[in-house]
Amino acid sequence: MSPSPSFRNGLLAAVPVLRAFAVSLAKNADRADDLVQETLVKAWDKQDSFQPGTNLKAWLFTILRNEFYSQMRKRKREVEDTDGTMTAQLSVHPSQEGSTDLTDFRKALELLPEDQREAIILVGASGFSYEEAAEICGCAVGTIKSRVSRARARLQEILGIEGESDFGPGSSTTHITNVA
Amino acid sequence: MIGKTVREPGCQTGVETGMKYQKTEMKRDSGERRSGSDPLGPNSEIGRKLRQYYADLISEEIPDRFNQLLSELEGKEQPQSAVKED
Repeated sequence: MSPSPSFRNGLLAAVPVLRAFAVSLAKNADRADDLVQETLVKAWDKQDSFQPGTNLKAWLFTILRNEFYSQMRKRKREVEDTDGTMTAQLSVHPSQEGSTDLTDFRKALELLPEDQREAIILVGASGFSYEEAAEICGCAVGTIKSRVSRARARLQEILGIEGESDFGPGSSTTHITNVA
Repeated sequence: MIGKTVREPGCQTGVETGMKYQKTEMKRDSGERRSGSDPLGPNSEIGRKLRQYYADLISEEIPDRFNQLLSELEGKEQPQSAVKED
């Protein structure tokens, strides 16, 4: 069976979002591109297991995420302290240096633990539902919700953002303060 | 398996626009999570910053290596099916 051109197009079209997700996970542009490359190769190899009509992006994100964690485990075995080497490579996008706001935000994001960072990226930036994010991460929806909420609270703390309610599902105060 | 037929945020646009993504990312937030109670919704500063951060990443130019890679992968398939005849 020859691969359908639409599958190839689907992969190609997903590259920008895959890279964005990979950079968010790996905190390093070169490593992110390697991750995306590996993801494309894996996806190509097992394209028969993809059901057309289902969410290709979620499928690809799952592959990329698995690849990231398996590489991380490998790296951890190789070098015990990756922290020092990683932080040296943190400044990913020179083009963004002009925007202090964005740079600060990126740094804050990088301070989050991996599980919280990926959760808030999937739900808050990539547009996945909590359910989809849970499926991608292979965990319960409640776990994703709590990670997102902790990530958000931590980011607010780091960035010194106040006025957004930290607790409870009903941020009913937000719109009141905004109106005022 | 991800079985649901869901919207594919950000995935479709690239088909029409080729490699370079336009900043269409924001659009999808007009979707279902718009309610005022969404802690990362339009009323949330963290939510806005997150989407700005991400849109910025997505708008970057894509290195050609990915296009090349897919062509190589595609190229590999063809000889394989020809060899099968053997």
